[in-house]
Amino acid sequence: MEKLTRVSTISGRTMFCHLDAPANAISVCRDATQVVVAGRNIFKIYGLEEDGFVERLNLRVGRKPSLNFSCADVMWHQMEENLLATAATNGAVVTWNLARPCRNKQEQLFTEHKRTVNKVCFHPTEVNMLLSGSQDGFMKCFDLRKKESVSTFSGQSESVRDVQFSIKDYFTFAASFENGNVQLWDIRRPDRYERMFTAHTGPVFCCDWHPEDRGWLATGGRDKMVKVWDMSTSRVKEIYCVQTIASVARVKWRPERRYHLATCSMMVDHNIYVWDVRRPFIPFATFEEHKDVTTGIVWRHQHDPYFLLSGSKDSTLYQHMFKDASRPVDRANPEGLCFGLFGDLAFAAKESLMSAPPSVGDVGRKTYPGGDRRYPIFFFKKPDVTEQFEQVSSALSVFESEAGSSVGMDWFINTAQSYLLSGKPFGELCEHNAQVAKRLNRPQESTTWTMLRIMFSEPANPSLSSNHNLNKSGNLPLVNRKLKEWIKDVFLCAENEETEGSEGQAEYLFGDAELDDDDLYSMEHDNQAEEPEYLLPQEAFPLRHEIIDHPSAPEPVQERPESPHVSGSETESTCLTSTESFSLISVSQLLFSPHLPPKFFCPIVKEMLCYYAEQGDVQMAVSVLIVLGDRIRKEIDELTQEHWYMSYIDLLQRFELWNVSNEVIKLSTCGAIMCLNQTSTTLHINCSNCKRPMSNKGWICDRCHQCASVCAVCHHVVKGLFVWCQGCSHGGHLEHVMEWLKHSKHCPAGCGHLCEYT
Amino acid sequence: MSKLLKTVSVINTVDTSHEDMIHDAQMDYYGTRLATCSSDRSVKIFDVKNGGQILVADLRGHEGPVWQVAWAHPMYGNILASCSYDRKVIIWKEENGTWDKMYEYTGHDSSVNSVCWGPYDFGLFLACGSSDGAISVLTCSGDGHWDIKKINNAHTIGCNAVSWAPAVVPGSLIEQPTGQKPNYIKRFVSGGCDNLVKLWKEEDGQWKEDQKLEAHSDWVRDVGWAPSIGLPTSTIASCSRDGRVFIWTCDDPAGNTWTAKLLHKFNDAVWHVSWSITGKILAVSGGDNKVTLWKESVDGQWACISDVNKGQGAVTSITDSQQNEQ
Repeated sequence: MEKLTRVSTISGRTMFCHLDAPANAISVCRDATQVVVAGRNIFKIYGLEEDGFVERLNLRVGRKPSLNFSCADVMWHQMEENLLATAATNGAVVTWNLARPCRNKQEQLFTEHKRTVNKVCFHPTEVNMLLSGSQDGFMKCFDLRKKESVSTFSGQSESVRDVQFSIKDYFTFAASFENGNVQLWDIRRPDRYERMFTAHTGPVFCCDWHPEDRGWLATGGRDKMVKVWDMSTSRVKEIYCVQTIASVARVKWRPERRYHLATCSMMVDHNIYVWDVRRPFIPFATFEEHKDVTTGIVWRHQHDPYFLLSGSKDSTLYQHMFKDASRPVDRANPEGLCFGLFGDLAFAAKESLMSAPPSVGDVGRKTYPGGDRRYPIFFFKKPDVTEQFEQVSSALSVFESEAGSSVGMDWFINTAQSYLLSGKPFGELCEHNAQVAKRLNRPQESTTWTMLRIMFSEPANPSLSSNHNLNKSGNLPLVNRKLKEWIKDVFLCAENEETEGSEGQAEYLFGDAELDDDDLYSMEHDNQAEEPEYLLPQEAFPLRHEIIDHPSAPEPVQERPESPHVSGSETESTCLTSTESFSLISVSQLLFSPHLPPKFFCPIVKEMLCYYAEQGDVQMAVSVLIVLGDRIRKEIDELTQEHWYMSYIDLLQRFELWNVSNEVIKLSTCGAIMCLNQTSTTLHINCSNCKRPMSNKGWICDRCHQCASVCAVCHHVVKGLFVWCQGCSHGGHLEHVMEWLKHSKHCPAGCGHLCEYT
Repeated sequence: MSKLLKTVSVINTVDTSHEDMIHDAQMDYYGTRLATCSSDRSVKIFDVKNGGQILVADLRGHEGPVWQVAWAHPMYGNILASCSYDRKVIIWKEENGTWDKMYEYTGHDSSVNSVCWGPYDFGLFLACGSSDGAISVLTCSGDGHWDIKKINNAHTIGCNAVSWAPAVVPGSLIEQPTGQKPNYIKRFVSGGCDNLVKLWKEEDGQWKEDQKLEAHSDWVRDVGWAPSIGLPTSTIASCSRDGRVFIWTCDDPAGNTWTAKLLHKFNDAVWHVSWSITGKILAVSGGDNKVTLWKESVDGQWACISDVNKGQGAVTSITDSQQNEQ
């Protein structure tokens, strides 16, 4: 408890200061009030004040400092507050005593290593014991009371990258090597390591003992991984593995946080990452202040998890506050959502959120494999939500749209497959499509088809003729307006109906509107008696021209004989019952002849098609466009049509309805659409002389400079129909080859090939 | 007849065996494959034919959490792009049943948050938005070579989402004086940590900021340009950490005047918006772990037609009151 109260005195903010030169390493004194920065050209002590760094002491003294000042590493003794050790790039191990009265604080100099010393490490509890690891492959243990090293450990391998005394085991230290190995030594036995294992592929740049767990060692390598090893068991076991983004140059366990460690890289990446080893994929926090690689990181106090100090090649020294760290997981999107083609939804979400009510932070927890769920004690003391960071998993669900709902796309597929667009008389097509729409519970579309049939084809039954006379000049605008209203009504109501899902609404409306406005029907039934009845031809498209061909000679309205009176209900039934409507179309007749030019309905139909397209139902727009053909085609500008066609064809292809798509392309009247079918047809031909593929489009093969299309029979150049054998590339005029093959099975060119013409 | 209308129900939960959080799930063009990506650095591809899901590929190559995936149009082959915290964009291609890296883009200085393929009619090209504030547009010029254009400082602090305008910008066709076929101008929309939604267009081979749409009061997390199937207006949906979802529409063929309509204010951050294929229904997912579906009614108001609650499996309904609002 005593240590915690002391920790609480540490305060400060995120701050930095400029150094004179790039730093190689930093170390902090025991009471967390001063930090030493060492590098090739810098060796200074800074005081950590509330609001900034204050330079306290420059240890580089002399006019021309010796190479002994060029530091690769530095360590401040954790018990003796005046004692520091540095590892020099020239192989020297130097100790410094701040209590020395003169300017030069150098205390002892050991020059036993032959190459750069990468690391120095004081024993955590033994005041006079210092360990070094060097590029020359040796580790040396010094007793500071003696002039020379007391023991030398040979790693029997390449250079030593890091040495660390175990915090809990007095005699043990770990060393990491260039070749990927980690060795464990007993300080009393310099002859042979206790254990050795391969930790990484490539150099192991660093290692760090867990401050609490005596068996845990974290190692970081050039292979971008941080691994946590349990050394307490008889066989060294890898218990966690964190994959970082760049090679790992430094690793430091975070104080008071059992599963957290900080890493930095010496290549590419300038950031400092703090990981929770249980969630090895995403950093818990990052510090992104440095502009060049970070060379040294150290937690300011061994019992304080909130302050991290770092030195960098960008010649700055930073104090990072944990609350200012960026948290990648906060930026991360915890959900995935995708609207599928068929109206289905793929939705991925954090599993924890699914059952628990939404709450702040990542409280979701899941047992991680092989792990242990116990919280370290301090977690209970300080239930800090922002500090909770554990492995989270997501669940992915696929939601499928319910049949018949507005979200699904079943209707689209069914409709596309069932609609008839050609091959039958206009009326039958409309009727068929109306039935299809009705069957698929789409009353609005069904009604539309029925309306179209009525508008553009001719009521056949003369008995239905209305006795209402239409005063053309007087009533037309009115009719037009009413018709528009009526159509609007149908749309609005059909929409309601669709949402309510009941049937029969359309019929009701239809009848209703009809009863309100007899004029409407009068148009349909006017005049028909005079027209001769005839059957529609059975070909696909003559209908297109029918209306146009018909003379629109005005005929006096009054001349028509009286038709039998039709009641509203009767009309209604003719419109909507299939039996009668069949009789309607089998004998068709021009609907509005003389007084109502065929174009009369076109603006309304156009409006309707646009409405459908706007509703996203481009299928309806295109289908109507095709079925109506020339009746409407000229009314809608080419580009809009093309847009509809393209959209529809695109949709059809997405649903892999190739046949329908092809049919639509074939039936389209837009030039740009029709040529879609021809775009990917390529014919590869070989030259008949040299049998190489023809690369240019002309007559002459560019390889043998001979004319490629010479008739093998008459030796003239073939213009027009050319038939050739795919086996030997020879051929000629169709009639010549046919003639030839009556007599011979061999190639007329005399190549000996048994030609096959199919 | 009940007023409750079922629109979606859960069919199954896919066992992705991802080891960490899933950040994105995308279905391909034909709706038969599902790609997921996760913090565990992997991208997985599932066959979702016939209601079942079979893992067909597990793509490893990223060195950090993978934020987003995007399918290219199948006319270029089976191509998938993924972007990651490791600052890379990887373009994967399936050949003879095996997936390999086709291209790796390392031009960003920070996490790449979003990828989106442009409309296929105009080639194979991709936009990516990054936390370094830049947006890159990569265009495949054949032979595995990619042409790169970078928009620096597109969004200060970072770009979270990008989405392309459909090939045919609505209105450009309809209001066109006859004769001339309009030149397609490549456009996309982006959303960022500066709370802005920005529109970009290509002019003479250069990317320029076209519009700046301000309405959100916190990071914009996702933007979605609606498909234009026969529609006369351009529509964009944007969602933000502030809980708001806006629908932006533009009737003007030049694309200069955009009007915002608030779809809804949720209580929690909204992470995703996704349009249905016809562009008429919008799916929205938020921090409360719910998916809601929205449809514009005849009078132009957006109404919730369904909500899907994860915890309860499948709950879908329109309440009477909601329906009355329609």
